[in-house]
Amino acid sequence: MGAVTYPKAEVVEFVEQNLVPLQVLSDAPLAKDFNLQWTPTLIVLDTDGKEHHRAIGFLPPEELIPMLMVGIGKCYFDNQQFDKAISTLEKLLAQYPKSDAAPEAVYLLGVARYKSTHDPKPLKQAYEQLASQYAASEWTKRASPYRLL
Amino acid sequence: MEKKIKWESSLDAALARARAEQKPVFLDFFNPH
Repeated sequence: MGAVTYPKAEVVEFVEQNLVPLQVLSDAPLAKDFNLQWTPTLIVLDTDGKEHHRAIGFLPPEELIPMLMVGIGKCYFDNQQFDKAISTLEKLLAQYPKSDAAPEAVYLLGVARYKSTHDPKPLKQAYEQLASQYAASEWTKRASPYRLL
Repeated sequence: MEKKIKWESSLDAALARARAEQKPVFLDFFNPH
């Protein structure tokens, strides 16, 4: 990550604008608190230090940024700030539609829209988008019950 | 001049900044070897 992904200008810009970056050695005491088993382990925490998203293994720049966007979106989602979650996830899908994080973003976007409106249509729309654009994704399977709505 | 990510090195400092700036924390556990 340090040699390939972190030096990229778009990564520096994204991280500095949207997150507070914290880098800790894998043998530091904090690693035990987060049950660290392997590196790199990348975690997104909210302002109270609560974990909302985790990825293990190397990510190139075009995958790191959308992974972090899912993490930011989940911070908002888990704290019931659905408008901010929706905005973050929409931006992810507009900028990185082919990323590995995109199917999860479609799923979460559907749920966030449902939670903010109580209208089930976004759930079905999420399934239809997943089935048409990300058919092989696990998130398409997870959304499959929504096809019946 | 090339820009670099300005990493915090302590969770307490990162959380204080996160609360002040209203941003989540990106925690990277790494092994330099």
